[in-house]
Amino acid sequence: MEKIMEVRNLRKSFGKKEYETLVLKDVSLEISKGDFIAVMGPSGAGKTTLLNLLSTLDKPSSGQLILDGEDITKVDNKRLSAIRRDKIGFIFQDYNLLDGMTLQDNIALPLSLNGVKGKVVLEKVQKMADLFDLNAHLLKYPYQLSGGQKQRGASARALITEPKILFADEPTGALDSKSSKDLLKSFLSANEMGKATILMVTHDAYTASYAKQVYFLADGQIQCRLHQKGSPKEFYEEILNLLASMGGERA
Amino acid sequence: MSLWKMAASNFKRSMREYFALIVALAFAVFVFFNFQNMVYSESMKVLQNMRKDYIDTVIEAASIVFGIFVFFFIWYATNVFLNQRKKEIGIYTFLGLDNMKIGKLYAIEATCIALASVGLGIVTGIGFSKLFQMAVLKLSDISVNVEFSFSIPAILITAGLFFLFFGIMIGKGYVSIVRSSVRELLFSAREAEMKREHPFVKGGKIVLGVGILGSGYFCAMKTGGINSLQYALAAVILVIAGTYFLFSGVIPLLIRRLTKNKHFLYQKQRTLWVNQLSYRIKKNYRTYAMVTILMICSVTVLAMAIAMKSRYENVVHFRQTYTYQINSIDPLNEEEIAEGISQENEIVYDNKIPYLVLDEYGVVPYSAVKEAANRADLAFPYEELKEDEAIQLSHIIFLSLNLTQDESVRIGETQYQILNKDETAYLGTLQEQVDFYMINDTVYDNLKLNNTEWYLYNYKIKDATNAEASRPYLDTLVNEQDGMHRTGYSVALPENKEETWCKIFYALCIFMFATLILASASIIFMKLNNDAWADKEQYETLKKIGIAKTNLAKSIKWEICFAYYCPFVLMVITSWFSVKALGNVMKQNLIFVNIVSTAVIFALFTLICIESVHVFRKKVL
Repeated sequence: MEKIMEVRNLRKSFGKKEYETLVLKDVSLEISKGDFIAVMGPSGAGKTTLLNLLSTLDKPSSGQLILDGEDITKVDNKRLSAIRRDKIGFIFQDYNLLDGMTLQDNIALPLSLNGVKGKVVLEKVQKMADLFDLNAHLLKYPYQLSGGQKQRGASARALITEPKILFADEPTGALDSKSSKDLLKSFLSANEMGKATILMVTHDAYTASYAKQVYFLADGQIQCRLHQKGSPKEFYEEILNLLASMGGERA
Repeated sequence: MSLWKMAASNFKRSMREYFALIVALAFAVFVFFNFQNMVYSESMKVLQNMRKDYIDTVIEAASIVFGIFVFFFIWYATNVFLNQRKKEIGIYTFLGLDNMKIGKLYAIEATCIALASVGLGIVTGIGFSKLFQMAVLKLSDISVNVEFSFSIPAILITAGLFFLFFGIMIGKGYVSIVRSSVRELLFSAREAEMKREHPFVKGGKIVLGVGILGSGYFCAMKTGGINSLQYALAAVILVIAGTYFLFSGVIPLLIRRLTKNKHFLYQKQRTLWVNQLSYRIKKNYRTYAMVTILMICSVTVLAMAIAMKSRYENVVHFRQTYTYQINSIDPLNEEEIAEGISQENEIVYDNKIPYLVLDEYGVVPYSAVKEAANRADLAFPYEELKEDEAIQLSHIIFLSLNLTQDESVRIGETQYQILNKDETAYLGTLQEQVDFYMINDTVYDNLKLNNTEWYLYNYKIKDATNAEASRPYLDTLVNEQDGMHRTGYSVALPENKEETWCKIFYALCIFMFATLILASASIIFMKLNNDAWADKEQYETLKKIGIAKTNLAKSIKWEICFAYYCPFVLMVITSWFSVKALGNVMKQNLIFVNIVSTAVIFALFTLICIESVHVFRKKVL
């Protein structure tokens, strides 16, 4: 499998001298094309910090982050911006769609701003709308959409540029169970059909059960990993059991 | 923490946010105070012998116009402030504050802004009062020494008026907060932007906008005839109403159309800024309309000032055509008179014109006027007149529109067709006293047989300030018999102090123009600051999803350019009509004024637009 991202001895601390808090301690992992990884862990485990570092929103204190063969800890802000634009997709817990434009324009935004021709943009938006079942809502504004529709819209916007990797921060955090299920199914389709590589942070075992691998983070370190072998239901049970044995959260 | 302490600390903390607002309001206070100071200041009493009562009236009129503008400006500024604070003070409700207390908090903070801006405006106003007066007098071309002085009544009137306006607006804001629900406080701004209009209302606004503005332009073009004033008034009202509807109907429609054309939209940074405009126009259209109307007013005020100045200069020029005019029933020796005048003054030109007085009219022969015009180097574009033709020799009346023109006149037994009404001073100030007509030479000779002929001898000297020197000689020419002047004379002195007030009017109009334009630009500047504050979060998201800063910077540039140049373009179109209408009424070609004022506004807007882009980018990127 083609290696997309390699994380080596990643450390992140906040504060200085006696006030320094080490949030991530020598985290190492590899992400290959087509992976669908969920990162779980209790509050304060460093999940969001890890996501922010991997997605280039924050800089590590030490360690290497190699994305597509390039160490992104050593590039300047301009290059980082280009990397975010061309190689990374990001989904937020609170959707962050732009209120002033229709869902269609929201999805089209990253491509149209990158100089892709209108005709191509429209074709790709259509493809994303099919994938995320948003055809009936394209002309609506965010305030006319439900939370689930907004999050699927945000996911379509993140995937339209065909990023090397998609990062999702608690994507189902603000959704009800039906909307969560719809969104996760879309993620699965994107992962299986479109070969999208996904890394999502979640505290919810059910959401994590849709992933192919689950990493458990505690005290700034990856404590263990689970690989999906059986059905999603079995995987869900497996996650719950592991969480119980670790004394962690249950959904 | 008490409400007072909380408000004071909020105000201190938000000083940077409110800086632009306070400076704009202080500027309005500054100008208003200086207008008032000119009326009450000791130093301006030197204008007493220049009809200061007229000057005071002009300044008071300008103050009233400016006061009306200030009222709307404060209304707008306090609304901006309220919207900026609404969300934050809405959060206080979660801390257990009731609406009354939040209202009080808002009122205290707004009062701090009022005190800061009135204080700053008056202090700088006092500091610069001498400079302001010197600038007005310099622009008015009046040379008097100005002493530093300021008057307590001017301070009291300025502070009183501004506090009254602030009081009304703060009270309005307080009532609005007390009556609002938490939900309204938190989401009102956003909901106003998203609320959709019924297609019928939308369509109505579009039709009204185009129809009313079109009618306004039509009325402006119809000025110049006998109904000029009615048309001009109708044009003003229709253009103001039309501009409002244009920004609430047609322009949003055009922008929405652009957002629907995806092949246009998905190019460059348009997805972002065109959508942003479409989203914001609903909230901002009143601002755009207000700015456009302010600019149209400012250009029209400037055109009026220049037209008045030009008219004043024409009046002065008319009266200065001849320095001495000797009017006699007996023929005199013009060379002998010239010699007499030459003892004290150098003569530039002279001429002689005979005339008859029939009933209440005066008549002059064509050839004599042509010859006189030739000697005095005055334009004379007329061909030989037919027997029933006449040219009316009129004069410029400073404060009269004089729009009517008779087609014919009956003098004695004959009806003459009037070919033209000419305001060239062929007969000098005599044209101001009697209605003169230039007629055919043969007709004149026939009329001469039964009427007494008078003779007008005109002399223009080189140094008009030395005109009094020849008066003793001219006195020797005066011939009075049986209480009737057979020979008399008049002297045109260089300046008529009676009409100096119109120069002050001109200077004040220039200031008004500058103030209105600065106010327009500062309103847009404030609006954009407000938008930047609201958009901060959105730009954070865009950066996170990898939109390049250069793309965002370009999008901001386009969005801000629209905010400045859309009202500007509409102002250019509309002011062309308004200035044309004014030119028709004042019988002057003001196109040059239009071009220059437009260029000045363009330059100023471009400078402020660049600064706006810089500030906006600094805030959100």
